[in-house]
Amino acid sequence: MIKIAITKGRIEKQVCQMLQAKGFDMDPIIHKDRELLIETSDGLSMIFAKANDVLTFLEHGIVDVGFVGKDTLEDSDFHDYYEMLDLEIGKCYFAVAAYPEYKDKEFHRRKRIASKYTNVAKKYFNDKHEDVEIIKLEGSVELGPVVGLSDAIVDIVETGSTLKANGLEVIEKISDISTKMIVNKVSLKFKKDEIFALIDALKGEEEDA
Amino acid sequence: MEEVKYLIPEESIDAIMSNVSSLREIENDLRHVFVDHGYLEVLMPSFEYADLYSDMDIGIEEEKMFQYINYEGKRVALRTDFTVPLARMYCAQKETDVKRYCYFGKVYRKEKRHKGRSSEFFQAGIELIGLSGFAGDLECLNIIQQTANYLKLKNIKIEISSAKFYHRLCDIVGDRSFVDILKRRDLSDLKKLTEHKDLPVSLKKLILNLPKSFGDIGMLNKMIETMEDEQLKEALIELKELYEHLDDKKNLSFDLAMTPSMKYYTGVMIKGYSPYSAETIINGGRYDKLMYHFDRNVPAIGFSYDLSHILRALEKEEEGND
Repeated sequence: MIKIAITKGRIEKQVCQMLQAKGFDMDPIIHKDRELLIETSDGLSMIFAKANDVLTFLEHGIVDVGFVGKDTLEDSDFHDYYEMLDLEIGKCYFAVAAYPEYKDKEFHRRKRIASKYTNVAKKYFNDKHEDVEIIKLEGSVELGPVVGLSDAIVDIVETGSTLKANGLEVIEKISDISTKMIVNKVSLKFKKDEIFALIDALKGEEEDA
Repeated sequence: MEEVKYLIPEESIDAIMSNVSSLREIENDLRHVFVDHGYLEVLMPSFEYADLYSDMDIGIEEEKMFQYINYEGKRVALRTDFTVPLARMYCAQKETDVKRYCYFGKVYRKEKRHKGRSSEFFQAGIELIGLSGFAGDLECLNIIQQTANYLKLKNIKIEISSAKFYHRLCDIVGDRSFVDILKRRDLSDLKKLTEHKDLPVSLKKLILNLPKSFGDIGMLNKMIETMEDEQLKEALIELKELYEHLDDKKNLSFDLAMTPSMKYYTGVMIKGYSPYSAETIINGGRYDKLMYHFDRNVPAIGFSYDLSHILRALEKEEEGND
């Protein structure tokens, strides 16, 4: 039995579709109501949780495997897991975005940056040797520049349409994001065959010679 | 102060009550084995200069130390590990012979808030200083095998690997990103890395299979047979020889993708796991380069048991919840 935590919402849908396409029984999940823990006939025990909680469950060894976005992994300060597979779904990227004039504007003060991903923002500006003030917003981060709270934002960009609708644009791309399969380090040791069977199924046709 | 009358600070751990007897029992059993092998028990001080740890880069982040500024204006830290202070002591006392130390006590590391982790850990372990190579490795591993039975845990796994193998691999691959990718066992990134590298096919295959290159002596033998690079092969044969000379081979396996938890590891590396603990319960290895820090060239090997994690695993094992 492998225990899995999946990020609720889009990642849940996409991962379940992938598993279904590989012949896993996903019916109990597709037809679930509001249950948070479901067991499938393939011996998978799945829980559905918010992205950061997927990491917390994995950290404590409650689950063996987690499906979570790279954005969550990068912003978290817990890194003691194996990040074994890039599912290449849910692709988007981290970027700095602002009004176009941001690029040429000279700031004679600390810039203010709004972001939900404060660690990512902090690391990006630190790597650029820039000292900025970071303000945490929980959602609709685009509001930062729009209401005049911040000079720019660090956020996930998928199509860029929200940015555009608010007159903002991507100033610089920071890093790529996609959905990752992460594995608890101890679980890999004790459930090697089961976990690699899941990996091989998700990896696609190619076989290791 | 009224509002915290009944609370303990988040850094603290709950008082251990029900399991104290198991802890003491295990401790005593371990102590007997250590002492029988000539290990001297040392009670180490609780305070060290923080610089001792931070200058050595042993994989403990600065922010994890409990520190204060003392009367000299120097940073003082609560003990975060035993190996470094024992190495300091060996050098400070200008020892030159083989020394065998064992220790029992707590180490302190700050953990993130609201993550259900405590900041103090019971450890027990040994350091075998001044005995190089095979003889030292064998003594250390034999002691692990002898003491592991006293942990009362049923289903433990002890994995060994070789820092020589690891360092040689890093040299061959010659890419700074490799270490990080290997640490994450990231199959997708390993694939990308090998695709744009000009490496022999057999080596690419070896690298791509690293994340699953752990298992029993059969796995190791197979790796040795197919290994083309002489240095890699030699490192693996050393592991095999160690294995063959062990008195007791139970629970022992190999993990060729193991990465050193500190940069001073030069030879055999050791990790132990229980299915009931999300953290490793045994950590150790040969660290022949650590003493360079004190301008000494002294080979050494050691390991420690994380008794706090072992106790918790025992509790879970008794509950029988998987």
